[in-house]
Amino acid sequence: MNAPIQAPTPPSAANKLKSTRMAGKLVNDYWEMVWRAKEEGKLVCWYEGSSINPFLEAADIVWVHGEAYSAMLAARHQEGPAQAAAEERGYLRELCSYARTHLGCAVNNQRHRNGSDSAFADVPADEDISAKLPPPDMIISAYAYCSTGQQWDEMTSRMFGKKVPIFNVSIPWIWASGKDAGYLRGQEWEETSKYVAKQLEEMVKFIEEQTGKPYPWDRLRELMRNVKRASELRLEAMDMCTAKPAPATLFDWSVSIAPINQLPCTTDIVDYFTNVRDEVAERVRTGEAAVPKEKYRLFFDGIMNWNKLGWLAEKFARYDAAVVAGRYTHMAFWQEPGLINPEDPVMGMGQNYLICPNNHSSPILIDLIMGLCEKYEVDGIVFHATRTCRAFTNPMFMIAEEATSRLGIQTTMFEGDVADESFYKDELLNTRVEAMLEAIDQKRMAVV
Amino acid sequence: MLLESRVKEQGSILARLGEVCTDPLGYAREWKARTGGLVVGSFPMNFPSEMAHAAGALPLIIQEAEDPITAGHGLLFPFYCGYTRSTVDQAANGELDVLDAIMFGDHCVQLLGAADAVRMSLKNTRVIFFQLISSMCDPWTLGRAKESFEKLREELEDFLGRKVEDDALRESIRLFNRDRQAMRKLYEMRVAGQISLTATEMQYVVKSAMVMDRREHLELVEALVAGATENSPAPEKRAIRLHLSGHFCQAPKPELLDMIEGCGAVVVGDDLYHGFRYISTDVGENGDPMEALAHWYLDRNTGVPCPTRVQNDVDWDAFLLDAMRKENAEGMIVLMAKFCEPHMYYYPEVKEAFEKAGMPHLLIETEHESMALEHIRTRVESFLELVKRRRGAAPVVTSAAQGEVA
Repeated sequence: MNAPIQAPTPPSAANKLKSTRMAGKLVNDYWEMVWRAKEEGKLVCWYEGSSINPFLEAADIVWVHGEAYSAMLAARHQEGPAQAAAEERGYLRELCSYARTHLGCAVNNQRHRNGSDSAFADVPADEDISAKLPPPDMIISAYAYCSTGQQWDEMTSRMFGKKVPIFNVSIPWIWASGKDAGYLRGQEWEETSKYVAKQLEEMVKFIEEQTGKPYPWDRLRELMRNVKRASELRLEAMDMCTAKPAPATLFDWSVSIAPINQLPCTTDIVDYFTNVRDEVAERVRTGEAAVPKEKYRLFFDGIMNWNKLGWLAEKFARYDAAVVAGRYTHMAFWQEPGLINPEDPVMGMGQNYLICPNNHSSPILIDLIMGLCEKYEVDGIVFHATRTCRAFTNPMFMIAEEATSRLGIQTTMFEGDVADESFYKDELLNTRVEAMLEAIDQKRMAVV
Repeated sequence: MLLESRVKEQGSILARLGEVCTDPLGYAREWKARTGGLVVGSFPMNFPSEMAHAAGALPLIIQEAEDPITAGHGLLFPFYCGYTRSTVDQAANGELDVLDAIMFGDHCVQLLGAADAVRMSLKNTRVIFFQLISSMCDPWTLGRAKESFEKLREELEDFLGRKVEDDALRESIRLFNRDRQAMRKLYEMRVAGQISLTATEMQYVVKSAMVMDRREHLELVEALVAGATENSPAPEKRAIRLHLSGHFCQAPKPELLDMIEGCGAVVVGDDLYHGFRYISTDVGENGDPMEALAHWYLDRNTGVPCPTRVQNDVDWDAFLLDAMRKENAEGMIVLMAKFCEPHMYYYPEVKEAFEKAGMPHLLIETEHESMALEHIRTRVESFLELVKRRRGAAPVVTSAAQGEVA
């Protein structure tokens, strides 16, 4: 029998970095390690938000970042069973879809272990990786800005019958009060940094209680040397994207979030970002573009729509639009390596947690975003109005207004979500982006 | 006093409180014109109004307005709770200009967004913020809560240009305690059938306390308590006794409450913020007042657990089942403000506990605009019918939290 004739796959419009392909393997290796954790007798910690993983990795605890698991499921289009389980338990659809998906994993995990009479009981289907997540031996909550993180962790603890010890690190929002307030400066910044660092030291004591061993500080220092170097390389490569045409886009940086955010902090991540940096440098040298016919340069404000990562990369490339920077990729994830002192890492780690992109109130946040828009010489901003992530949507209208009044650039918005595909409206995105690009064209013609 | 005139007096008190609730900013404007004082607004639900009162200002908890959202659409997305959208809308429309300062320190992500938008909209209004710790059982929770309140006090003093004295603060605490106690007395009387107050009227009593001059409010509430006698009209005995739960920052709409009771129910208890949650706990009157306020903050969450906090050693669902047992309530209606994340997180806990305890409950999602009351009425009627049938069945179900629940 002849094979069915398939339509030819159109060539990709986005010229993605080749070096980022390694991220897929590293990510898979990491999750395989997580899934084996119990067989290998490892302790498992669930956490969300801040990258506290080096603290855990140093203590030989396997770490599970809730958002990362949800994002991975969404990117693989395997979020369905987890979200259905969460809904069945009573979590409403408007709840953070990261949390909903991860809590759904916990529901599934409990049901499969306890053999409930639910429709989800029994052995999980092979393709259902929502139930493969090993249950936590401890939970650490260290979430900047968004109240959802702390409540999500609390709910996880309750779902496991409050038998799993939980530790809370409170990370206050930087409101920018006082005349000396600003990015990384002022009394509020200094006091808040100390407050967070002190809690992290207490968190280390909590970790010691769980492992029953003295905390291996030397190991943490070693890991943080790698993190610092990886971060420097990542930022160096991002900075090179001020070149025209841009050698890489936000979508390449999105693929590179896992290596900086939650993969093991070994020299692998240094190698990864060295390769990325080198490829970007080579592209700049040869003039190779991430979007071959780059005509527009855009800033992407909002968290990534993980169901649609490749889809969006292609879509913008077909519009000849290089999305050169974004709040999510360019303002987070060990964003200030200069603050990290590997020999005495706690304070700098805490300060990096404090500067998660949303944890500064709008006066500081807007200045930072306007700075990036100018640096990358963007023609417009695309806002991803992330339905269930209010942490990102909170300042969007204010950013849009400032972009127009301060920089005179175009903006547009589309609705989607981090991990729930049902909120994404493709046609809305098409018409709005097309309208914005037309407006940019008209503006250029007026100038000529 | 004759029964008739007493009822008339009670009616006029409730009418006055209702008037304030309907136009809280109007009350503030009138108060300001009358006294020449400053009005300090605050966000719900944890700012101690005693502090602004001790400074000689009128503390006013900003309320969700009845008006549909207009200018606020340009500041927050429609997928935010009604309270945040309405507050931002009021700021954008200039309604909050009557406030001389706004103080808050909460951590709900939507409130933080609203705070930023309010600050942006009210360029001439001092917006004071210091984030309260929301993790309630850490070794440093009490100290941090005290520090937060001290920071707020410092900023308030800076704004006013004068100190807020400890003695004045203690005096305000005593006044507020007395007012809370008077309101709690009404709750007790309602459970005991000694006073007939509808859910809307009870909301008027509590919500007006968030707005009015406290002494004026206290006088009215004490008159209400004094006016209630055994001869007060008792609630209809055949009515289903309900507990209302949820609705944190914003008050449930009176038309919704009236509809629920109009279906043959009587509300005998609640844990609404515009209800028992707000008045549940007194502040210590002796010693360091800042220490006392910090303790109040913690005690309140142990007394009436709140989903906006995390506290591993208290359970909201157990509290609810216990409260209902004491109130002899037969069912619970959960009022969830649409998009309220804390509530969405905790609701499955409550649902499971109630199912396990065999206690009926109904979830109603409420919206700032376009609430389909007739559709909700059908659901409420069906729910009350179900509860009524249980009366005849007389089941004895073991509650997970509190033993037997009839």
